[in-house]
Amino acid sequence: MTTMQHEFTADRQVERKRAWSNWATGMLFLLPSLLLFGVFLFYPMVRTVYLSLFLTDSQGVPIVFVGWENFLNLFQSTSFQISAKATALFVLYTVPAGIVLATALAILANQKLRGIGLFRTMFSATMGMSVAASSVIWMFLFNPSIGLFNRILAALNISGVQWLLDPQYALLSVSIATIWMNTGFAFLILLGGLQNIDQSLYESARIAGVSESCKLRKITLPMLSPTLFFVTTVSLINAFQTFGQIDLLTKGGPMESTNVIVYSIYKDAFINYNVGSASAQAVLLFVTVLVVTVLQFKIGERKVHYQ
Amino acid sequence: MTLTVSGLVMVFPILYAFLISFMQGGEVLQGSLWPETFSLANYVSAFERVPLLTYLWNSLLVSVLIMAGQLILCSLAAFAFVFTEFKGREWIFYLFISTMMIPWEATMVPNFQTVQSLGWLNSYAGLTIPFFAMAFGTFLLRQQFKTIPKELYEASQIAGISKLRFFTGVVLPVAKTTITTLAIYSFLTAWNMYLWPLLVTNNEANRTVQIGLKQMQTQEIASDWGVVMAGVVMVILPTLILLFAGQKRLQEGLTQGALK
Amino acid sequence: MKKLWIGSTAMALLLAACTSETEEAVQTTDATAAPAEDTGKTEVVFWHAMSGELETALNTLVDDFNASQEEYEVEPVFQGTYEEALTKLNTVAGTDESPAMMQVFEVGTKFMIDSGHIQPVQDFIDEEGFDTSIWEENITNYYSVDGVQYSMPFNSSTPVLIYNKDAFEAAGLDPEKSPMTYSELKEAAAALTEGEQKGFSILNYGWFFEELVAAQGGLFVDAENGREGQATEAVFNGEEGLNVFNLIKDMHDEGTFYNSGQNWDDMRAAFQSGATAMILDSSAGVKGMIDNAPFEVGVGYLPVPDDAERNGVIIGGASLWMADDIEAEQKQGAWEFMKYASSAEAQAQWHVDTGYFAINPAAYEEQIVVDQWAEYPQLKVTVDQLKETQANAATGGALISVFPEARQRVVNAMESLYQGADPQEALDQAAEETNRALEVDAAKNGN
Repeated sequence: MTTMQHEFTADRQVERKRAWSNWATGMLFLLPSLLLFGVFLFYPMVRTVYLSLFLTDSQGVPIVFVGWENFLNLFQSTSFQISAKATALFVLYTVPAGIVLATALAILANQKLRGIGLFRTMFSATMGMSVAASSVIWMFLFNPSIGLFNRILAALNISGVQWLLDPQYALLSVSIATIWMNTGFAFLILLGGLQNIDQSLYESARIAGVSESCKLRKITLPMLSPTLFFVTTVSLINAFQTFGQIDLLTKGGPMESTNVIVYSIYKDAFINYNVGSASAQAVLLFVTVLVVTVLQFKIGERKVHYQ
Repeated sequence: MTLTVSGLVMVFPILYAFLISFMQGGEVLQGSLWPETFSLANYVSAFERVPLLTYLWNSLLVSVLIMAGQLILCSLAAFAFVFTEFKGREWIFYLFISTMMIPWEATMVPNFQTVQSLGWLNSYAGLTIPFFAMAFGTFLLRQQFKTIPKELYEASQIAGISKLRFFTGVVLPVAKTTITTLAIYSFLTAWNMYLWPLLVTNNEANRTVQIGLKQMQTQEIASDWGVVMAGVVMVILPTLILLFAGQKRLQEGLTQGALK
Repeated sequence: MKKLWIGSTAMALLLAACTSETEEAVQTTDATAAPAEDTGKTEVVFWHAMSGELETALNTLVDDFNASQEEYEVEPVFQGTYEEALTKLNTVAGTDESPAMMQVFEVGTKFMIDSGHIQPVQDFIDEEGFDTSIWEENITNYYSVDGVQYSMPFNSSTPVLIYNKDAFEAAGLDPEKSPMTYSELKEAAAALTEGEQKGFSILNYGWFFEELVAAQGGLFVDAENGREGQATEAVFNGEEGLNVFNLIKDMHDEGTFYNSGQNWDDMRAAFQSGATAMILDSSAGVKGMIDNAPFEVGVGYLPVPDDAERNGVIIGGASLWMADDIEAEQKQGAWEFMKYASSAEAQAQWHVDTGYFAINPAAYEEQIVVDQWAEYPQLKVTVDQLKETQANAATGGALISVFPEARQRVVNAMESLYQGADPQEALDQAAEETNRALEVDAAKNGN
């Protein structure tokens, strides 16, 4: 009896020691990242939360404490409502379409053909394009007078569209350009995911005489789900934070129809010098993305199939 | 067929940039698709106008440094998340993920002040170190490491193989493909940064190519788009080459993974 | 525990490897920086927003100055767009990183004065008894407040009407006569509108609206455009502003107006490709347009309403500011550069290279300018329009620190016109939003 008890406590001690050692190792591996996050992300974020409660001078120094006023002003402002709506629409336009397109391209490029490498490079090429460079090109494509799109429409006898100038189409146009810019990256990740799928699964499916569409539904998509989950999470977050192409293509216009929140933050902080209001928007954006991502993890990770 | 069409659609904008880079004067704004002559004049002006070679070199250096830093930090962190069990691990993981949601524009000014007080302005440290930690990369590698059977790790622990040996000897080789992908991603993202390098540098000696691109465009007078596009081509050429080369590496890695 | 040790040393090594790499890199840059110290000259750092060909011209000007004397070395540094440059200045103002001299766009004038980190050039003018009458009065007016010259005008431009002479001829209009009034403009636009070609276009950019209002003698904000005290209310929604909006609205409804968006190059593409036959453009862009358009280009004055008296134009562009917290020597160097840059010779070269106005009218007598005007007679129109401008509060330009925001509001209102908004309502809303911005700004400054 006593010896057993003795052993038990010894076990616990070993256990505790191991737990501590594990914790220390874990932290050691994480320390460099945590340190940099602390300095370059958490500290500024905390500062942003703090500043959102103030009016600041043009250099961003808080001068008047206003409490929730910045937030209240935002909720009452129609500009902010338009901006929130534009952000939501932009996410809806770009994320699902972008993922479907990238998945389709990845499946296409996963065939075993001669010269398939060339196509893979073509599909992933947009990843090598900077937002600045891509935007310049798309600006020309969208141009109502000389742009290619309207000339194609003209050739088809359809009257031209004011792509970036009509509040009805502007957000959609920017979304198309964005999908193009993001496809290369999503494609590459998804292709990697596809290649990791065990070929023997397809082999047995072939022997069983399963149809192509069934293979896609029953093998490819489930096996690809961790990668899809990952790509969705990252695309969502990126979509919420899109900035460059908005700045270069529309500057948030026409009639604020493309004034997504990050652009609005940028304008308030760097052009209008309303750091308080910009900070309040940043806090709201952070909370929104956090909620969306948590939801995505809760719903998504259950459906994800790990090997 | 579908392959060819979609391939062409995807690369068309890039080809178009190529074509514009040979156009002279008003050709661009009159909406030509094909240049009248293929002259290299725009490339010559692009190199004359900004110190493009210096910029390219700096971009290369900065991108490689960031890539190396991110790979090291991310793989270490991902390893900790998958193979060490300790209290609060999940919590810290969510903390990591939450950093992805912080809008970068909101952190820029405080970060600038931090870098300034560290004395890192105009240095490669200021250009690179703030980017070394990356939640996205950690997340990507974590997803990959998770596919390594836990039993393998437990067996190695029993066999007395150190965590580090296991990390370098087993985990990294298995995750080679993903690491290559991440490396390419890191490199390209770093290569394409604009606002931050502009903020933290004050002389041409350590500026990067994206600033050079902006330097070629004008507002109030007509931009010389031929020259700008020549610049664009010079800027995207290295990344496209990298992608092409990386593609080969990727495929190699993938076949190896399949053989195992 | 042993494993842990190995792990941590390896980690330390890894980290050391990556830090030493960066440190090395840092050292190499330190070695390449600050080349001016070898020559014993005082370094004067000059931040600017001139890109493309403008930067080439600016660098020539700076090089000439550096070669012209032994004491100072001006070092020009490109800092992005005007907005980006100003943001950056804002973060470093008052620190060691602050430049000695800075180029700031015209709407940043009030912001700079309020910033408290600048040295008015007036002090140098007084000290030296410098004769500012050599400068174009209409340009210096903009940058002086209450008789104090705050900054040195540098690259200055005004809007002009640019038209396609070939299209004028084809439409049976006199290609030598540009429309001077709104009804002439409307008639011409109606005649020019045919098939794919529209008559007229204005860029959706606040500057053009401000100019069209000022051309009729209208003010942008109260307190005499903010020059007789702090402006508290926007007045651009008055009669003059409504005239402009009605013009756009009418022409848009008649189908003679072309919406060219917010992008300068989109507008130019529309003009050069024949999508619109007349546009408003910056005087600085005229030469490039003449060079690149595949047709004859005409240049005319800004049109005004039929019954309005022509007041002239507000100066646009940017000026040079001197920082306050720098060494006296650097200030002196900046001042020397400003004087050099405003000399007739330097201004003549600058005008020819860039298309910006010479702030020193004597430059127009220089041979290179005479030669260029012979080749491009249209350029003279831009200068004449400025010379004929009456100096008053309207053409002096508004002085508010929330200018960038006010511009965004006006642009928004312009865009809503194309969606069928009522001109007066659109203007009123923009004015109201501007008022709110002015209010918040006043609250910040505690007055």
